[in-house]
Amino acid sequence: MKRIPLLSIMALIGFIFLYAPILSLVVYSFNESRLVTVWSGFSTKWYGELLRDPQILGAAWISLKVAVASATISLVLGTMASLALVRYGRFRFRELFSGMTTAPLVMPDVITGISLLLLFVTMEALFGWPAGRGLLTIIIAHTTFCMAYVAVVVETRLINVDRSVEEAAADLGAKPLRIFFDVTLPSIAPALVSGWLLAFTLSLDDLVIASFVAGPGSTTLPMLIFSKVRLGVSPDVNALATILIGLVAIGIAISAFVMTRNGRSSETDA
Amino acid sequence: MNERQSPSDMPWRNGSEPFVRIVDVSRSYGPVVAVNNVSLDIYKGELFCLLGSSGCGKTTLLRMLAGLETVSSGRIEIDGQDMAGISPWDRPTNIMFQSYALFPHMNVERNIAYGLYRDGLPRSEVTDRVADMIKLVQLSGMERRKPDQLSGGQRQRVALARSLIKRPKLLLLDEPLAALDKKLREETQFELVNIQEKLGVTFVVVTHDQEEAMTLATRIGVMRNGVIEQIAEPREIYEYPLNRFVADFIGSVNMFEGVVSETDPDRTLIRCEDADMTINVSHGVSCSPNQRLWFALRPEKPEISRHRPENADNVVEGVVEEIAYRGNLSIFRVRLKTGKQIDLTRTNQERSAEEPITWDDPVFVSWDAASGVVLTS
Repeated sequence: MKRIPLLSIMALIGFIFLYAPILSLVVYSFNESRLVTVWSGFSTKWYGELLRDPQILGAAWISLKVAVASATISLVLGTMASLALVRYGRFRFRELFSGMTTAPLVMPDVITGISLLLLFVTMEALFGWPAGRGLLTIIIAHTTFCMAYVAVVVETRLINVDRSVEEAAADLGAKPLRIFFDVTLPSIAPALVSGWLLAFTLSLDDLVIASFVAGPGSTTLPMLIFSKVRLGVSPDVNALATILIGLVAIGIAISAFVMTRNGRSSETDA
Repeated sequence: MNERQSPSDMPWRNGSEPFVRIVDVSRSYGPVVAVNNVSLDIYKGELFCLLGSSGCGKTTLLRMLAGLETVSSGRIEIDGQDMAGISPWDRPTNIMFQSYALFPHMNVERNIAYGLYRDGLPRSEVTDRVADMIKLVQLSGMERRKPDQLSGGQRQRVALARSLIKRPKLLLLDEPLAALDKKLREETQFELVNIQEKLGVTFVVVTHDQEEAMTLATRIGVMRNGVIEQIAEPREIYEYPLNRFVADFIGSVNMFEGVVSETDPDRTLIRCEDADMTINVSHGVSCSPNQRLWFALRPEKPEISRHRPENADNVVEGVVEEIAYRGNLSIFRVRLKTGKQIDLTRTNQERSAEEPITWDDPVFVSWDAASGVVLTS
């Protein structure tokens, strides 16, 4: 097929627009100079600096804990929600439930953040849990919006699972729980992997919601970067951001790879 | 046509206890009635075919036997046991799905073994039985393959093996051969009958293919709109259909509409306006005088000739309008003076006939008084 040159130029402009800022950030993270905008030679010293900064390492550790925990919890909850949506057939309020599951996808972060903060404060006043803001509240907050993404990803896969395969297992003597683990779970496994990775990267990325529900001693990496930048952009932040971009990119790439491979194999099944 | 059993192993003829009893079973989805008050007895060792076009309720009936569909009203008994409230995993039945529904992430061996492991059988016994089954369905060498590495025919055999491995009392097959091409389908039909006879399992097969039903079945149940129209042996269904639907659904048929002009115990005359003739039938018909009814004539029954045959019970004149050559037989379409068409078939026994009947030839179509069926509905 002959490509239209104009179209490739347009695509190129688009990609430059999207990735030039990120690229400049990555490039400057290898800058030797302390002045962010003046290039004085290649160096990886800012990466070394990062590893010696206990504040950054602490924040990274918190972010990682939050991301793993909220991705895992939202995987379980999101899968359960999508099972209910797909498998329960037409129950009352199904459309409403479906809409409500995916609403957090389009809810502005600020609103999610404020409402969760209000909820936590009220709950603490009423029955003393959760006591104060910290790691736990960030995990809960991240789970609420990550779960919606997991539910959507798993639901898409679940719709395409051949119902008669589950019926065949039942017919051969498997009870419902057994059917789920023997047949349903292997069929949706790729969606679970990519759902978890998606939730993990989303949680790692989040600044706004975390800022609302975090307490003292629970500063996540994006929060730390943001506060550091307010005092002036320093080269070590560039290095940190580059690492973060790398992590997120890897997560999304694996998730996309798993999903497409899975899509191809379900095509050959048909 | 299936002639493999002697009358002694036709339990439906000698009043044996049925193995499966379906009593007044209905299934409705909201206002839609998929299966309407069906009663049916199936006997041990039978290969029973439920035949009907898509949407007639045959698959729903099969799924109710397997427990995958609930019964709205009525009762299903298998081997004397009421199946109400019994889950699919506790039933003495196994089903083979139209889509085969193989476990995509398991290889052939594990697919077949799945049901045995669910029964908690020891590994050594499972291995032995799976190996025997793989031999039976001729899948040796394929044990480690995944379903997507198999051809359609191989998948079909894995599905069959998987549903047979638990030695079910009743095996249910939903369009088992639909996904195979014609040649493979014919081979597999005979294989299926062989396996069924070897294992002595009772089979219920759902199909929309009347030829398949004829080849496989000990008896056929023809379904339409959730109702069973006729239950009979293949030969009986073909030669003595109960009504116009069954006559038309099984094979092809020439239908004459008419009015009884005379009937006594061994003779009936039907005045047929659209062929402008009076049809002679060699038996009595229980009906009211002047009742409207139908005379069904299979295309292989009538004779075709250039000269008016002597001593024929029924003769009608026409012109050959169409000839379709099918190799083993030819189909003639004869147009009568009234415009009505009669289709008839001739087997091509001789390579070249002296003076073959050809297009636009004036011909006589004749048939014996005993060769058709009178239908009242």
